[in-house]
Amino acid sequence: MTTKQNLYHSKPAQWAVYGLFFAAIALIPVFVTDGFLLNQFAVYGIYGMLALSISLCWGFGGILNLGQGIAFGLAAYGMAMTMQMQSQDPDSNPIPPFMLNNSLEHLPWFWQPFWSTGGGILLALVVPTLFYVVFGTLMFRARVSGPFFAIMSLAMLSAFATLILDMQPYTNGANGISPPAPLSLFGTDLDPYGTTAYWIVCGGLVAVTVGAKLLTQSKFGLVVQALRGDPERVRFLGYNVALYETCIYAISGFIAALAGCLWVMLIQYVSPAQLDTTFSIGMVIWAGIGGRLSLLGAILGAFLIQGGQSYLGDQFLATWLLMLGAFFIVVVRFLPKGLAGLLEMILGSIARQPAKHARPEPAGLPAAGE
Amino acid sequence: MTSLDIAPFANALVLGASIASIWLIAAIGLTIIYGTVGVINMAHGEFIMLGAYTSYALQSFLGLPFLLCLPASFAVVALVGLAIERGLIRYLYNRPLDTLLATWGVSLVLMQGVRLIFGSDPKYIAVPEIFQSNVEVGFASLSVFRLVVIGVTALVVAATAWLFYRTRFGMQVRAVMQNKEMAASFGINADRVYMTTFAIGAGLAGLAGSLFGVLAIVLPTMGTAYVVQAFLVVVVGGGTLLGSVAAAGLTGELQSVFAFLTNDTFARFLLYVLIVVFLRFRPRGLFAVAKARR
Amino acid sequence: MGVLEIRDLHKSFGGTKVINGFSLEVTELTLCCLVGPNGAGKTTTMDLITGRQKPTSGTITLRGDNITALSEHEIAQRGIGRKFQVPAVFRELSVRQNFEVAYSREVNPFRNMLRRRPPGFSAKLDEVVSLTGLKDRLDVEAGFLSHGETQWLEIGMVLMQNPAILLLDEPVAGMTEAEIEKTIVFLNRLKRTNTLIVVEHDMGFVRQIADVVTVMHMGAFLAHGKLSEIEADPRVREVYLGEPEV
Repeated sequence: MTTKQNLYHSKPAQWAVYGLFFAAIALIPVFVTDGFLLNQFAVYGIYGMLALSISLCWGFGGILNLGQGIAFGLAAYGMAMTMQMQSQDPDSNPIPPFMLNNSLEHLPWFWQPFWSTGGGILLALVVPTLFYVVFGTLMFRARVSGPFFAIMSLAMLSAFATLILDMQPYTNGANGISPPAPLSLFGTDLDPYGTTAYWIVCGGLVAVTVGAKLLTQSKFGLVVQALRGDPERVRFLGYNVALYETCIYAISGFIAALAGCLWVMLIQYVSPAQLDTTFSIGMVIWAGIGGRLSLLGAILGAFLIQGGQSYLGDQFLATWLLMLGAFFIVVVRFLPKGLAGLLEMILGSIARQPAKHARPEPAGLPAAGE
Repeated sequence: MTSLDIAPFANALVLGASIASIWLIAAIGLTIIYGTVGVINMAHGEFIMLGAYTSYALQSFLGLPFLLCLPASFAVVALVGLAIERGLIRYLYNRPLDTLLATWGVSLVLMQGVRLIFGSDPKYIAVPEIFQSNVEVGFASLSVFRLVVIGVTALVVAATAWLFYRTRFGMQVRAVMQNKEMAASFGINADRVYMTTFAIGAGLAGLAGSLFGVLAIVLPTMGTAYVVQAFLVVVVGGGTLLGSVAAAGLTGELQSVFAFLTNDTFARFLLYVLIVVFLRFRPRGLFAVAKARR
Repeated sequence: MGVLEIRDLHKSFGGTKVINGFSLEVTELTLCCLVGPNGAGKTTTMDLITGRQKPTSGTITLRGDNITALSEHEIAQRGIGRKFQVPAVFRELSVRQNFEVAYSREVNPFRNMLRRRPPGFSAKLDEVVSLTGLKDRLDVEAGFLSHGETQWLEIGMVLMQNPAILLLDEPVAGMTEAEIEKTIVFLNRLKRTNTLIVVEHDMGFVRQIADVVTVMHMGAFLAHGKLSEIEADPRVREVYLGEPEV
């Protein structure tokens, strides 16, 4: 079975489909004028980014990361503080109200850099990525096995969630941080329900998808896929496997951090719920059902599941989750490559169909096996 | 920062023993499953939750006394575990990451199923009066029920050790753990060993659940808190019974001491960070299983 | 001084002593065959050289540098490549992709993010493809290759890697007569540019390729020299045949 004839694997076809997808999501504001709906679609775009980050790390790298919420949540908190500080004034109103309510008299030192919008956003992106670099290095150099790594990522997520929940004076605990005004960039307020905000998210999704696709097509991406199958062989070829694993893990974390920042821009709120175990594992379910080896598949998986969940609303939530769980079991057991893998199989079997008018075999062709 | 008084510190140590016993009994079912079958069962927390609900249901609808609910919960959840192993797990043995994910799906199904059947409101398990009082242990004051938990944990560990090191079944399990192919060539039915072990592990989780349902309220979501903790014990311990006992003891005491020195949350965070660092230098855990060299 | 020197290597697994004071000096651009009965420690020696295992004591030096404590990838980068007894290829990737990964001139991940095809790759690929006869199979998933083709794929990968020293563990296991002939030809050609250490059982094959033969027994050095000398050595005969030559 060759991979060449299968349309699924043809590079031009893939880029064409991606192009169509980008065009489709870019055109949505043309047809949708309701601000709330636009905002909701933008949030789906965020989920798509998260699913893509999981696909990079897990599908391509074979690293099951159950704690992606660490990057998402930490970045979200950073962004929320940045936006909060935008509505504070150093002279008349230096301390956010929630801190005053918790009897803090001065802005804690680690929130000081967030006076600067640029500095705040930079920190929101860099700090989670740095954590991923450190955590990844520790785990991958020890050659901790896949399931162990998954559990440890879950443990760290849970630890961060409890930490944030408990540091009430600094993070407002369970209430979360809700900046009073939308993000202000270069002097203008960014309306979360406007088209500009939508296009920023859309642009982010497109950029991240293109970047990730190019990454998987590079030599680096190939080595990462190889080490997913046989890390030992990759080591014997001379590659520092732990370094490659840390890189892909950190890149996936950076994307999740970016998603976190954009999310707060849209929702104007963050709470410890963003570090919920169920939410983080949910990202893996989106990628798993959509197709962990397909970047676009993962994104569409997120759209499908989150869209379905919103549509069915809260009354059927328990039933919906139960069916989702059951469906996920089926996918894991029978369709490890998800719905994208199903498409691959279908296109593959079409490719193997004999042509309607078979061309005659040229004379003198040697028999197979020589 | 409080000065190191002996009395509160000793209190922390005693409380640490109670915490350790909770960690241990939560983890023992998982230890057995992971150590033998190599499966990371993400539904372990839900098995605990099922045990709690079984006790609640048996008590409320059948009027079964609490002490009988313990073995009953074991049996019921063991059967559930058996069904899951036969229906799903046994097809995924050579795919450890997929087993992890598939069992997460199972946990979702179980959690939502229970929610649909019993509702989301909290339930309570009644215990005999005598368990509700406090007792003095040296400098410390513990509820009698916590002592019961320590007692039951010790009994369960002893029973499990006896099962795995003194019986023929246990020998078969250990043979399969170390080298499945060779054990099979001696006529041991590895399939049956896996099935039985999984069921026992599930049952032990159910037993733990019926205890935890008293310590904490019974909710469909109560299990999720235990999965991570139980796994850390297994991971740090290395997958053996001795390892889990050592790991639970160590982490329970450390958590209690850290909490005494700082506060509860920071203690947990610190402990997790310590575990990450520990794994960096000893990835196989404290007392790892001796597996055959490939 | 040889290009690779092993001095007084010891390795124990738990209580079992697997390598017992083994020493070897490998001359550059020669093919050294490592032979010995099963359990003599040949594969373990390979593990120790490539860094897969760490010796209990003893040193391994490559061109004067002590590589004993280095990790697998560091040793590989210094020019030691390995072909495993059971072919280790990337089953989910295509043959072409396998060769691409094996072309490990550039191991830095950041530089690899920016490039698609490293320089010199296409030429090397053509060379290796024609040598291994996998031209028609380039786009096939490696998991679908036959056993012989998989062996050739791994050999090709090691050639793509182009290490100064190649360690081959039973390279002709499971090959047909024709394939073995082909292997003999190309190994003899390889001797001109690379140093080879080959673990083998088939004496006929050894006769055709070896410049020098080292016999291991019970984790220790038993004999060393040309094959004719080895075959005449009474100690070797005793170990292999169980009785002294009358």
